[in-house]
Amino acid sequence: MTRVRSLNVVGFAAVFVLLFAFPYLGTSGYQVSLASTVLIAAILAATVNFLAGDGGMASLGHGAIAASAAYGAGWASLQGHSVTMQVVLAMGTGIVVTLAYALLSMRTNGIYFLMVTLAVGMVVYGLAYRLSSVTRGENGITGIQRPEFLAEPWAFYLFVVVSFLAVTLALLVVSRSPFGAGLRGIRDSESRMRSLGYYVPAFKLVAFMISGTIASYAGLLSVWHTHFVSPSSAEVHRSVLLIVMVILGGLGTTMGPLVGATIVVLVENVLSNSVERWPTVLGLIFVLAILFARSGLVGSAAKLAKRLRDRKSPGRPPGDPGQLTDTPVSGANPSA
Amino acid sequence: MFEPVFLAQQALNGLSFGALLFLLASGLTLVFGLQRIVNLAHGAFYMLGGYIGIIIATTTGNLLLAAIVSMIAVGVTALVVELGLLRFVRGQEMPEVLLTIGVMFIIADLCLAIFGGDPKTLPASASIQGAMQIGALTYPWYRIFVIAVAVAIGIALALIQSKTRVGAVVRAGVDDREIISAMGVNISWVFTGMFVVGAALAALGGTIGSGVLSIRPGIQNDVLLYALVVIIIGGLGSIKGAAVGAVLIGLIDAFAKAWIPEFAYFTIFAPMALVLVFRPTGLFGRTA
Repeated sequence: MTRVRSLNVVGFAAVFVLLFAFPYLGTSGYQVSLASTVLIAAILAATVNFLAGDGGMASLGHGAIAASAAYGAGWASLQGHSVTMQVVLAMGTGIVVTLAYALLSMRTNGIYFLMVTLAVGMVVYGLAYRLSSVTRGENGITGIQRPEFLAEPWAFYLFVVVSFLAVTLALLVVSRSPFGAGLRGIRDSESRMRSLGYYVPAFKLVAFMISGTIASYAGLLSVWHTHFVSPSSAEVHRSVLLIVMVILGGLGTTMGPLVGATIVVLVENVLSNSVERWPTVLGLIFVLAILFARSGLVGSAAKLAKRLRDRKSPGRPPGDPGQLTDTPVSGANPSA
Repeated sequence: MFEPVFLAQQALNGLSFGALLFLLASGLTLVFGLQRIVNLAHGAFYMLGGYIGIIIATTTGNLLLAAIVSMIAVGVTALVVELGLLRFVRGQEMPEVLLTIGVMFIIADLCLAIFGGDPKTLPASASIQGAMQIGALTYPWYRIFVIAVAVAIGIALALIQSKTRVGAVVRAGVDDREIISAMGVNISWVFTGMFVVGAALAALGGTIGSGVLSIRPGIQNDVLLYALVVIIIGGLGSIKGAAVGAVLIGLIDAFAKAWIPEFAYFTIFAPMALVLVFRPTGLFGRTA
């Protein structure tokens, strides 16, 4: 087991070394910018992954949370506030919106949770579209500047890599904490956790706040990246793509969001140049992933590696206790 | 603002929109009641049904034919989705819902490819012309017709569910799948049938609704949102809940659009939030 864990740590480190080295590998400006897009999407997907993987709560509203933070930054920039104020307003807006989500959804589970987050996300979209005195309506807000020290594209890229590393580690810590264990308990059986004396809505509220706060940060990064925010960033479509990333990468895996975000962003930005019907392609990839690679690319790769390892060391009993803890992948218990 | 004619007009607007919402939400809620899945491709079925209906109505000028063809075409699409995809993940709540998202993506994108991006409406030749005249109140007959269709479908669904053998099998499937299977009913085919019927209802809504709301890219999300709000308020799986929720949301939406247009988007969510806080399973939903 220790050998497996050290292997994971080495793989994890290798990914980040590669990410840090990426701008120095003779890549073009467009590629570095695309890599920033991928990483920001990966941060957002990681927040969805945390809620869905540990909490069993699949959210269809995280795109709108990020968008509301982006609008906070946009509004601050329109009023000519300083960068500090821009950060405060972006995070403030994002956290207030997250609180609304969390309060409305904390008593629900499964499908109801999905629909509540979907509906609140659509309200955010509607507000972005119609409250044009603040959001400038359909045109969106342009010309939002990022701080001086991040002005260079490579500097911004490295900042995003550091952010991604910090978010990944932070979510890992939360997930390994007693709080994370409680959350997984609720995912597996809410009624049991209730009878053990846990106050379930509080766990859901806190989990959503953690996830939404990081999603707001990702929204701020995205507006710094593109200098632009419009209602389309709050569309359901965005949130759906986040779920697609999480499922493609592998629900509940650490590196899944990065893998999923890479695939989706590349299909959306690169494949769309040559294939006009790329949403169909994305839909097909998604459907095939659910039918044939339920635990996603990272999850399936891990399973394959485990099978190969087990074949090499036949001495180990087949029912390794370590396997039991990580089997339930999605909300498999509708009635509980 | 509060003149009787104006109020009556808005009330009729609300009822006709509510009627459309009922056609949408009843299919969604029936499928949920039996199979426990929320079909997020329902809005896409509505859109596909609307496009097909408009095309048939434009070429033949016959609304009835348009509705029938579009219901059959969408029903067949749903059958393929059910047998080709959903059967493989039966009973797994999340994968089922996520698969319907993938289906929504594909149908919406193919609709854009085939029918183009321009908004389309039911041609005047197939629509019902003229307006009803009662005193100072004038109101288009077509919208009255929409209300009549929804009422007829609602009564038919309620009668089928409570009086026929098919309805009895469906109700038994909702209550206890194991026992009804043990009694020799192939519940899997009942699921398939219900999924097809739900999609056909969405197609009917799309065809008839295209005379009220134009069909365009993105409509699948809008109508899905309204349908979700209706069934959250009414309670998942309940026809009665869908009817009450649809009328409620239709009326709230109409009056909000007339009185406070800037906040009209908000007003339909206020009742939903209240229902979720005080009765998380909806007005007529059962506790799990």
